[in-house]
Amino acid sequence: MLGRIRREAEKITINNSGIQGVQSINAQYESVARPLDNLGITEIQYAPQGGQTASLQLNTLLINTLEAGYSGSYSLDVMQNFTGDIPFSGIIDYGTEKIYFSQGYLETYSVSCAIGEIPQTSTTSTIYGDFGTGVLFSEYDQVSSLIPSLNIPSYSSMEVNLDEFSSNRMTSFSVDIATPRVPIYTLNADKPAKVIAGTPIEVNVNFSLDVDDYKIKNMRLVPDETIFKNATITLKKNNSDTTLLSYSFDNMLLTSESFQAGVGSNATANFNLRSFILR
Amino acid sequence: MATVFYDKAAVEVTHNGVSEQLLATDCSLSFSNAQAPLYAIGSKGTLGQFPAGARQGDLSFSFLTTITGTYFGVNGNIINSLASGVKAAASNTSEVSGVEIKFAGVSGSGYLNSYGVGVQSNSVSSSSCGFTFFGSGTQLPMSGRLDDFAGQTIQTGKLATGVVHGRYTNLDNFATSITAGDSAANVFGADYSISFNHNPVYKVGQEFPMTCLYTNAQETLGITEDVFQSGLAFDPAASNLTLTLSGLGGSPAGTSMGIGLSGVKQVSTAMSAGMDDIVRTQKNLTAVY
Repeated sequence: MLGRIRREAEKITINNSGIQGVQSINAQYESVARPLDNLGITEIQYAPQGGQTASLQLNTLLINTLEAGYSGSYSLDVMQNFTGDIPFSGIIDYGTEKIYFSQGYLETYSVSCAIGEIPQTSTTSTIYGDFGTGVLFSEYDQVSSLIPSLNIPSYSSMEVNLDEFSSNRMTSFSVDIATPRVPIYTLNADKPAKVIAGTPIEVNVNFSLDVDDYKIKNMRLVPDETIFKNATITLKKNNSDTTLLSYSFDNMLLTSESFQAGVGSNATANFNLRSFILR
Repeated sequence: MATVFYDKAAVEVTHNGVSEQLLATDCSLSFSNAQAPLYAIGSKGTLGQFPAGARQGDLSFSFLTTITGTYFGVNGNIINSLASGVKAAASNTSEVSGVEIKFAGVSGSGYLNSYGVGVQSNSVSSSSCGFTFFGSGTQLPMSGRLDDFAGQTIQTGKLATGVVHGRYTNLDNFATSITAGDSAANVFGADYSISFNHNPVYKVGQEFPMTCLYTNAQETLGITEDVFQSGLAFDPAASNLTLTLSGLGGSPAGTSMGIGLSGVKQVSTAMSAGMDDIVRTQKNLTAVY
């Protein structure tokens, strides 16, 4: 009999932490087996070309965070902690089936929010270890021993520290963090001997405004008019002063601005701040 | 019109009745006829162009490193076997016969003058070789017109288990090890090459040589790794090493392709860094015959 699997029968566990508020999961691999080609070819034969990896994309509502102080100096958002050099492994459950993966490394981390929304995070990761099912994965079993608590932030309880917002209304923001990875492969191995946390980390912060007196800057890179800003975004628990997450970046360069106007809408402006973090 | 598409341009090498079509990825052939101008006192301009040497050809091709069997007692492919045999011949300066090479309808008898193999992590290994064609007696170095030349097509998909692959090749026996600290190197790749010098013997009254002697050979092996050993000895002890290459999935015991290096000495070591990569080191080993 044909059946179907819905969201209540799906879950993802990463490093023994149950990830909550998941909106979508996309896990995939593409075989690196390629047909060999040669002069006078008579037969199609396949051989792997390059390291085999898989990818994992995860979108979650930012409604579940670790308890304050749980992770010491780490972020209370489980996924944000993987922007460093820590790998992760885990399981995706769907119905009675499982997908195992190991040696996952975060490649991008984004958090965004707009008026009327709950903040969301999006991550993409590369799996350098194993991915899938089979006898190789017997030791990968893990359970959700840690369930983050329900802490719902909202647009009404967050703070954004940037000069422009005293007279211009911010309608949305996003923070995008790209963490490069450099896998090092040796002979006689299909998994990397090491995955180096590359540098620098690129951070882009985007804001959208309903403008009042926002001034578009000179597009030319004139030293005296170059804009560097410090940006701090603090997400607090809804209707409380409890800080859940804080994103703070110094000396971000203003790299783009756009202005839109239409007959049926308010005048809006978007701008992007960018910085690089060495590690 | 002789229009030969690449799928009908196989490269086949035959030696002592044993033939193999190599999985060549490129092949180039050139044929030259040395002509030199002659000048004379009392004459304005040139007297003309006249032969300055025998006509000869050169053929080189790259191919996927295959382990297709045992050829003349050596595992691997026929080129690897040839190189091994010529290396032995070079060491005792014996006379060596050429091998028959066919390429897209053109054929000739050539002498191996270079051979190389490269293997890198997670990649299919590639080899290259070069031949010189001198001709023999009154026989042209090479002849033929472009024509389709390929084996029987088999439309099947399967794993290329006979192709040397870095995933299954273990060269830990070449890893540099230093005593201080945790110092066993990771080996990332190897590039092997050997070149042969040969001496065609010409007889008065004939354009092409009556025979060809190999005189000497030199082989080089570069190992890419991540440990730098700066303490090269002035006169290091020579060692005998074997480069063992395995096919996709791992070659069964006794069937790996082996390249023996005799009297090897390390002649250089280097380290370099590029953007977005680790610092890598390379040592070069040489042997002469």
